Amino acid sequence: MKLFKNCLFAGLTALTLLSAANVTTAQETDQVGRAPYLESLKGKKVIFVPISQGMDLNQSWVVVWQRHAARYGFSIEVRDPNGDTNAGIRAMQGAIAEKPDLIIVQNPDVQTYARLLKQAQAAGIKVLQVNMQSATQTDSYVGNDWIEMGRLEMGELAKHCTGPNAVSHKVVWLAGVQTGAANIYMRTGIDEVLKANPELQLVSDQPADYMSEKARQITETVLQQHPDLCGIMGIWDNAEVGAGAAVAAAGKQDQVTIVTNGAGSATGCESIKNGLLDVIFNFNSPIQAEIAAQQISELLQHPERQAGSEKTIFFGPITRVDKTNATGRNCWKLDELK
Amino acid sequence: MKLAGSGKSDGARMGIKMSQELVVVAISVILFLVFSATLNNFLTQGNIIAILKNVSILGTLAVGMGFIVVGRGIDLTMVAVMVVGVAFSIWISTWGVDFTLAVVCGALLAAAIGLFTGIMVAIAEIPPIFATLAIASSVYGSGRIVFASDVLYAPSNIAWLKFIGSGTILGIPMVVVIFAAVAALMGFFLRKTRFGRLVYATGDNPNAARTTGLPTRPIIVTQYVLSALIAFTAGIIMLGLVTGIDTRLYNSSLIYDVLLVVVLGGIGLSGGQGGVRNVIVGTILVGILTNGMTILNFSYTSQNLIKSVILLGALAIDAIINPRDEQTSQSGDI
Repeated sequence: MKLFKNCLFAGLTALTLLSAANVTTAQETDQVGRAPYLESLKGKKVIFVPISQGMDLNQSWVVVWQRHAARYGFSIEVRDPNGDTNAGIRAMQGAIAEKPDLIIVQNPDVQTYARLLKQAQAAGIKVLQVNMQSATQTDSYVGNDWIEMGRLEMGELAKHCTGPNAVSHKVVWLAGVQTGAANIYMRTGIDEVLKANPELQLVSDQPADYMSEKARQITETVLQQHPDLCGIMGIWDNAEVGAGAAVAAAGKQDQVTIVTNGAGSATGCESIKNGLLDVIFNFNSPIQAEIAAQQISELLQHPERQAGSEKTIFFGPITRVDKTNATGRNCWKLDELK
Repeated sequence: MKLAGSGKSDGARMGIKMSQELVVVAISVILFLVFSATLNNFLTQGNIIAILKNVSILGTLAVGMGFIVVGRGIDLTMVAVMVVGVAFSIWISTWGVDFTLAVVCGALLAAAIGLFTGIMVAIAEIPPIFATLAIASSVYGSGRIVFASDVLYAPSNIAWLKFIGSGTILGIPMVVVIFAAVAALMGFFLRKTRFGRLVYATGDNPNAARTTGLPTRPIIVTQYVLSALIAFTAGIIMLGLVTGIDTRLYNSSLIYDVLLVVVLGGIGLSGGQGGVRNVIVGTILVGILTNGMTILNFSYTSQNLIKSVILLGALAIDAIINPRDEQTSQSGDI
């Protein structure tokens, strides 16, 4: 009897303990850290100051970030200066005065916002820079390793324009805006390759200002001087179509290799298929945007970390795209990202 | 030498126009000779064609601007109309509208904007510099909101567009032929038609023209419609050359380059004088200069510096040869 009582008691105890255990597991099915994460993002304010929202890469970034913001309940506002540096300065000043939790910025050049970024950090605002850096380093930079980009592009030309079978050793660098971060750092990479391949001749080095017609004019003039030109490298696929047009008009598409970089939008792939461009080093801006979205989450989750106290850099992946792989995810369309 | 339709026999006036134009021609010739002597492959058929091809857009726009300035106006909407008109054509063609029809619609839009500008200037009597500055901004802004993207590409299978971009007539690129045709038509229009004479009359002295019963308002409205259509033509040239149109051109210095060509060529901003020949002279100087500096691989900054110094020099020489007096300064600037 006593044994039975004991057994019953033990059984009841076990049951109680089990049910208690059940209760606790029911409480703990919430994913570890999820609640504070959601809490930390909710209602936060993010302001993005781009160079111009008319560019393909910018549009893809914002589509991704807005999706991220809608999911986690923070707000993201775009203050588009539309390529006007003065309007950009005003947008930055306005953003700093509003004291958001985070400012995302795409710098038109390395100097213009340098002081403003210092001011923002001093005011306790976290700053994430995308793809175009300022001379001032802030909490985070997500974008290209532009020195590597310069190395990759000139390296591609070195493959075609050195050695006994090359048409000639003459190459052209169609720059963008000479004060822009991409331009300055790409030049460093280019110079490394030129040093390693002394037979390469840089016959022209002029900025086309990211404009296709300017790129076409420079290329046409250079082709008159150097009919045996071997390669052209540029800074943006939407501008280098102009160089491609000049090469096509001269009937030298088989002779001149045109290499550039781009955000990976479908228009770039079209330009490859039309034979206007040969190689695009694609930095896939939607992926850049996802990496930046991770940084947004991280920066918003740690209000205890002081603005500017830690400085992070992340270079996104670069894919070499030519006729063989100008399909699928290497050619995104904005509507498909939405 | 008979001058392009100044309609004046005043010797002093004739001297001004001649000298400014001659100074620019002289500078062009000197540059041409220096470059020919010092640069390889400068004096080749290919390079001369490249020079002409590279100024075809600037030159076409300058013909339109010159036409407006002769009538004592100024049209700062040209670049905005050019990019928005052509971008509009591409935009509606993406809905499945036939591209050629879409281009016609774009031209109609450009004409409508020109009509509006003309009405604002001629009938609302807003000074052209303010009216066109505001309209340019509105046109570009509306375009930006509607199209979303800066760069729009034409469909790749349009035969006539390809012909404009890379076709030739008797070895001359189609874009140069179009520029020459626009310039020749405008020259004929200004010098040989009654309308052209009325434009000079209106530009020279608008009040006198109105008092004597000339239809100055319709003339001004027509001028702005035509300059908008010429701007659209320049946009089509660009589309043929590079397959796409970049609306950010509105933010570039292109509109000032166009004005520069006009003023440099010797069309006074006070109106009533000069003609297409001045525009061509100014365009060719800028073309030779840019081509030579590109060949020399000058840096962007030094190119701008040299360009500015040469342009300033041309204006200074003109000012020395023709000091301002009461007669020349009475009409003032815009």
